[in-house]
Formats: sequence, structure tokens, C-alpha cells
Amino acid sequence: MRDNPYWPIEMVVGRIKVESDDRMLRSFDLRFKDPSQRFDFLPGQFCQLSILGKGEAPFGIASSPDEKDFLRFTVNRVGVVTTALHYLKEGEVIGLRGPLGNHYPVEKFRGEDVVIIGGGFAFTTLRSLLLYLLARREEFGQITVIYGARRPGLLLYRDELFQWEGRSDLRLILTVDKEFPGWNRKVGFVPAVTKEVAPSSKKGWAVVCGPPIMIKYTLPVLSELGFPPERIYTSLERRMKCGIGKCGRCNIGPKYVCIDGPVFSLAELERLPEPY
Amino acid sequence: MRKLLKKDLPRLIEWLKTSYLLYGPTEYGFAPIADHTPELITPIRPPKGIFFPQYQVLFRYDGKVPKSKGIGLFGVRPCDAKGLLILNRIFTQGPYRDNYWQDQYQSGIIIGIGCNQPQPTCFCHWFGIGPFGKEGCDLFLTDIGDGFLIEAVSKKGEDLISSFDPLLPPTDQDLKRRDEIVARAEAQLKDGIDPKLIKERLDNLWESPIWGELAERCLSCALCTYLCPTCHCFDIQDEEKARVRIWDSCLFPLFTQEASGHNPRPEIRDRLRQRIMHKFNYLYLQYKEAGCVGCGRCVIFCPVNLDLRELMRRILDEG
Repeated sequence: MRDNPYWPIEMVVGRIKVESDDRMLRSFDLRFKDPSQRFDFLPGQFCQLSILGKGEAPFGIASSPDEKDFLRFTVNRVGVVTTALHYLKEGEVIGLRGPLGNHYPVEKFRGEDVVIIGGGFAFTTLRSLLLYLLARREEFGQITVIYGARRPGLLLYRDELFQWEGRSDLRLILTVDKEFPGWNRKVGFVPAVTKEVAPSSKKGWAVVCGPPIMIKYTLPVLSELGFPPERIYTSLERRMKCGIGKCGRCNIGPKYVCIDGPVFSLAELERLPEPY
Repeated sequence: MRKLLKKDLPRLIEWLKTSYLLYGPTEYGFAPIADHTPELITPIRPPKGIFFPQYQVLFRYDGKVPKSKGIGLFGVRPCDAKGLLILNRIFTQGPYRDNYWQDQYQSGIIIGIGCNQPQPTCFCHWFGIGPFGKEGCDLFLTDIGDGFLIEAVSKKGEDLISSFDPLLPPTDQDLKRRDEIVARAEAQLKDGIDPKLIKERLDNLWESPIWGELAERCLSCALCTYLCPTCHCFDIQDEEKARVRIWDSCLFPLFTQEASGHNPRPEIRDRLRQRIMHKFNYLYLQYKEAGCVGCGRCVIFCPVNLDLRELMRRILDEG
């Protein structure tokens, strides 16, 4: 990888799980074919997955840095590469380049409160982050998670979410857009629920990932709650090819999402020209 | 400084060919020099494609990575040599280094030649290059009529030329003639704009009507990016047997088109602004130098006659 940053390492497909009721989201656990190629990473980083002959696409790492045996990626089936990924079977070998990009500033979170706000299938790197925080629970203050989807069947990692609901050291609020038979949790959009939950901004950090419309309406709520732009983080996506700051397409103003991001603070984004 | 008589040029070429796969200018671009002495013209295409091919195999699925050979470029103009230097910076600096570029560029040698007769479309002097700029060259030639003055610019160039016998010491007359040629050429290049000013003005022009007005003319054909000595954007594609990279352009709508249907730069206006901002603002911010060498190719070949120099003057007036 260091000699040739375009050269993918080989990963073996392990557990495959269909995550959503529309079957468009699948998680893949990938094992290193050559264990000596295993690498460390931090929550928020991404990798380029590739199927030779089909192409490459970037995906956030959904597993925790502490899950040493595999890397998990949750893939939304939408284009050529993601469709090919959906046809993978256990035991097949695919390519991976990474870890790429920066990460959530977990070192800054130490000793302080963290609120994680997610929407739809953008919960992937947030799962990584949450597991990282929970594994070092005593190092952080209050942890609040607000996660919403259009309907219950579109929430990622449901089994884990329902388990985490029982934890006393974590405030987890799940919400769906509309009433749904059998859903006895919250109903409402993420921005409104955030306002209602009102996580404390005193010594607090917010991490927001979701569809652009959710981010757009959640950021003002966080500002109202007193979170300064330096303490609000989000992760961006752009079309990418090289992932290493050379191919020239994922920039927002002078910043490349692949090497300067994908994680940016709202303070950084406010200095960039394009709508993000 | 040494002198090469013109009758000895073929000997120099043959001698360089013993160490390098030697490319020289043709009308359309740089091509391997076969058995003729190259005509020292400025080709339509800059030499970037020799080190950064328009189509390049990154690796074959059977694991083979193509090996690079030491390439010599003979007769490179100062603008183009500087363009290669800018590409080298982009490809080798930052958190990752592009090994394909680096292997080709570093194993190569660049033999530049001064421009006795700058063209009306030349504006390399805006960027501190000038018709006899030697930056990015290993050896530099100046045509003084009956021969060339040869200067070693880099250690690699010095090592190479020191073992080539048929060179003479230049006479005072030769040096005087060189000075006259340089002065005459430089006098033809007037009215430059400081790229630092362009950078600063662009800071204020994100929402300017300039971009929309330009977009009314621009075809978004990307010819300027293909002919630009510093444009480096590329695509990576999987073919049947190999993963390849292919030149791409920020002027194409598919460049940033996302699978979801969203495109952050959907209009020609957005993409033109990206190209100009990248070259004259973002790259300047990063390296204190613009991503332009004033070669004039985009001015000469634009099918709708957009003139970058006019745009720069407008930017200066309106920013």
C-alpha cells in the first residue's frame, strides 16, 4: 500500500447480513487474507472496496477499531460497484485500499459529553464511533445517541440498537418518521427529536451524519442548544476515485474530502464556498 | 556553459539515446525520436502525457504492474518544463505519493530549449518563467544561430553532459549573441498580471456573474484541460484485464456525478469556476504558485475563443 497507493489488498468475505427490509442495504464482514496486512484505524475513516473488473467505490468503516478480526462495511445498492458487491458470497475475495481519510476527533471528546445523531443508512461510521466510545466508557462523559429512519425496517444494526437501549450508561433514542404497527418508540424527524431530547452543550460535542436534508435542519437545532461550530462534526461524501488527493474530483473549495476529510467540523465547513 | 555546433546535434541525439528512450517534439506532441533529428517546434500537446499517459495501466488483474523506462524529453519549452514540475509537486507531495508518476519523472531527463521567438499567445512571464526559464530542466539549450549553448541546470544534467565530447567552450561573441537573443525575446512579453493578485481577487468572486457569462460561451468540451500542461485530473476504470487510469476533466458533468443522482457541480458555470479556482486560487493557496504556466494552448485552441488572459484581466477589475 505504501509503495503503490493504488494497489488493493485482498480481503475475504465473511458474514453477510441484509440490514434493511427493502434488502438494499447489506453488511459485509471482511477478513484480511494475509493477516500481516491488518491495519489500525479510527472511527470515521473509510476504505475503497473493489471488485476487479467492476470498479472501486468508497465506504465508511462500520466496525469498531476494537473488532480486530474483520472490517465491516454496509453497502447501499445503487450503482455498478455496489450491485456487484451485493452479489458477493461468503468466501469470495475482493480488493480494499485503506484506511483513508481523517477520523472523528475522539481525542478531543475525552472527559466530555458526546451526542451522536444519525439518519437513515449514514449510521455506519457512527456505529464505529459508538463502539469505540463504549469500549472506553469511563473516559467519556454522558453519551447520547439519536438515530432516526423513515421506518423501523430501515434502521441499521437493529439487534445491537435494541441491546444498547438497555444500557444504563447510554442514552439511546430511536425514532421513525411516521407511526408504524408494532413501533412503540419515538415518532418524529431527527431535528425535532434532537430539540426535544436537548442534549447538553456544556462540555459537549455533537457528531451528525445523515441525508443532507436532515443535516440541514439539525445543525440549527444544535446551534440553538448552544453547540459552537467548533464542537459540531459531520462526515461528507463526494464522488471519489483515487482516495489519495490526486485525481481532483472530491474537492470542496481548496479541501479534498478524501484526505482533508471526510470528517469536518461545522466551523471548517463554514469557511468553504460550496454547498456541502 | 558549453557550445554545440548545429552539425553535431545528431551526434548529441544519438548519444542521449544510448541512455534514454528519447522523445522529441512533433507537430502534435512529443514522440520517440527515431532516425531523424527533431525539428524544435512547440507541439500542440504538452509533454505531460509522456510521464502521465492519457491511458495508463495501473495493474493487470494477474498481478503485473508495467515497468517504466528512463525517458528523455528533448526540446522542452520553459513553460512545459515548469508544467512538469508543477505536476511533480501535485503527484508527489501531500500524504500520498503517486508512484507511477514519480518513477517516470524521476528516472527521466528533461532537455529544455529557450524560446527565441515568443508567440503572441505566450504569457509564461506572468508566472515567473519567461522564454529562457530553466526551472524543471536538467539541461538547457539556447539557439544562437550556428549552434546551441548548453547549460547544465541540475546535477543529473551536469553528469550527463560532462561525458559528451564534441562540446566547445563558448566564445565571448557567442555569449554576447545569447544575451541579445534573450533580451529581444523578453522584450516581446509585456503587461503581466501577478498571480498573487489573481488569487486574492478570486477569494471574492465565488458568486460573481463572470462564471455565468463565460458559461454562455464555453462548450464544456474540456479541450483546454487536455492540452493544459498542469491539468492532472483522472478517472480510474476497470477494464476486462486491468485497472487503468484515464485523463478526466473537471469540465465534464460526469466528473462529480454521484450514484444517488446528486451532482455538486451540475452546470457549466460551476465547472468553469472549479477549473479557474483550482488553478489560480486553491493551488496558489497550497504552493504559492498558480497551476498555470502561460503556454497559451487554451487560448490558441479554444473552439469558442475564450481567452484566459482576458478572463484574468476581468478578475483583476472585478474582484
